[in-house]
Amino acid sequence: MDPAARDNLLDPIPLIAGRQDSDSLTRIIFNPVWEKTRPGWWLLFLLGLGGTGLLIAAISVTLAQGIGSWGNNVPVAWAYGITNFVWWIGIGHAGTLISAILLLLQQRWRNSINRFAETMTLFAVMCAGMFPVLHLGRPWFFYWLIPYPNRMKVWPQFRSALPWDVVAVTTYFTVSLLFWYVGLVPDFASLRDASNTRVKRIVYGIFALGWRGSSRQWHQYKIAYLLLAALATPLVLSVHTIVSFDFAISQLPGWHSTIFPPYFVAGAIFSGFAMVLTLVIPARRALGLQEVITLKHIDNMNKVLLATGLMVGYGYLMETFIGWYSGDKYELFAVTNRALGPYRLVYWLLIFCNVLAPQVFWSKGMRTNVIVTWIVAVLVNVGMWSERFVIIIVSLHRDFLPSSWAMYRPTWVDWSLLAGTIGFFGTCFLLTLRFLPIISATETKELNKELREERAEASAA
Amino acid sequence: MSDWVLGQFSDEHKLLEAARELSQESQGRVETYSPFPLDGASQAVGLRRSRLPQLALVFGLGGAAAAYLIQWFANAVNWPLNVGGRPPHSAPSFIPITFETGVLISAFAIFFGLWLLLGLPRPYHPVFEVEAFRSASTDGFWLSVEAEQPSLGEKVAERLRALGARQVSIVSEQS
Repeated sequence: MDPAARDNLLDPIPLIAGRQDSDSLTRIIFNPVWEKTRPGWWLLFLLGLGGTGLLIAAISVTLAQGIGSWGNNVPVAWAYGITNFVWWIGIGHAGTLISAILLLLQQRWRNSINRFAETMTLFAVMCAGMFPVLHLGRPWFFYWLIPYPNRMKVWPQFRSALPWDVVAVTTYFTVSLLFWYVGLVPDFASLRDASNTRVKRIVYGIFALGWRGSSRQWHQYKIAYLLLAALATPLVLSVHTIVSFDFAISQLPGWHSTIFPPYFVAGAIFSGFAMVLTLVIPARRALGLQEVITLKHIDNMNKVLLATGLMVGYGYLMETFIGWYSGDKYELFAVTNRALGPYRLVYWLLIFCNVLAPQVFWSKGMRTNVIVTWIVAVLVNVGMWSERFVIIIVSLHRDFLPSSWAMYRPTWVDWSLLAGTIGFFGTCFLLTLRFLPIISATETKELNKELREERAEASAA
Repeated sequence: MSDWVLGQFSDEHKLLEAARELSQESQGRVETYSPFPLDGASQAVGLRRSRLPQLALVFGLGGAAAAYLIQWFANAVNWPLNVGGRPPHSAPSFIPITFETGVLISAFAIFFGLWLLLGLPRPYHPVFEVEAFRSASTDGFWLSVEAEQPSLGEKVAERLRALGARQVSIVSEQS
């Protein structure tokens, strides 16, 4: 039997396609950075800049006119601001999950997609962070959230869930940034050494910090990377838990629930993987990365999507069951109002997108079909946004006193902030695709070496 | 002032073999260079266990303790506020910030400790004088010996060639 056929038998869909060596992998991964800017990139970049412009306009209106320019009003005091915040921060969870948890579990398929997910995390958390700050009303006093000795002699109220949120989100952003940069340093050195102009060599050289790839450097580096992963693992689980405390420790029916922390974490991973798939599928085709992001990666990500989708579905089921089982008429009302009230369409959209759509992934054919995967991933993104809408707005708009019930209608500023952050996210992501290798060349080369050694052992045996 | 003797090897097994031999001959500090971490490289050049884990632990615990103290001082000592009759010193509600700050400080310690231990940033290094050394971050496996006496340089270079190195060159460090 010839070696290629035997490889196919051992591993039907490989993690790295074809016979590659370090040099060819470096070329595949760095090609998007070295090649000339394509017209398609400019088109998308202009679109993203347009979105960013809309974001700046909407923020300006919010600052000049105040929160009155948003649709929020009592009883719906938390509306799009918090919905968008929780949606973005959830998307930001796949990054650390793929990077840290899958690293500790020695899942080798993470190597081609970890940089993708980490980059996405950073920008998603930036988008998320804007909303609570804008929602302060007077964002220029955001530093009052930090405990510093001041003449007003006031301190943050640490028994409230909101300061927890501030610390959790800033810690998450900072640790993700450090982890991302540590992972990038050997690649920066590689870019420095492979660059063909003096300017590129100097710029990449500055970011590479003088990395030489010596045994002493790798020795400390491996430990540092593992330690950061070990810290990031409980961190990623704690951040969305703390976000869910914003709701769970309050008394409102629909929020006051102990299932919130695990259900929020599962939802965050679910939406994060959906966003990675949404971005990875077009990018691997456009940038010619099919050899390093293979159908195996997409297959595995779809399995995670299916599993977390089922967990989220269990969460919806339990919320409904507990609403009835509690015997509390306000809890029961909150549950029925979701499914049958004025916002019922959003609720059924969420059930369709998050529970029904991912069920196609029971079939292997569907999991390895990129078009089906992309459509389902986009649906999950929509579904997860709807989930936060249902939790926040639908729970608030009809609370205990029928005399204070009201409907919430978003204004153009609300919509522009949402669309604007999507544009900003896209702009940042496109810039990364242009200037940084979106796949870790170092880790891919290491994985390639391991896979080749395994193949050699298999053919020797 | 010392001489750096550099040589390239065709694969990582030959590189590690040579590193092991040269480390025992003690003609100068031996260092391997590779585009990705190599199993056994640390042992080949005789490195001790990293101190980073201890550093991370100490700073993590310190950060967590400081966070708890700040919350306790602010809400229970300096300005106690009665909110719904909850005790001013309510330990459970201080836990999230305590944990997060511990993680944050520990991550900073790992990040800055790493660069401190590695002596980075250091934009210039004698090994960068060799143009072919560029391949060390792409697909090349390199070895260097830092010969402390300039007279040893030629001898080490000869030894490297005997161990199978290609492109052997000597860089004299300017003092």
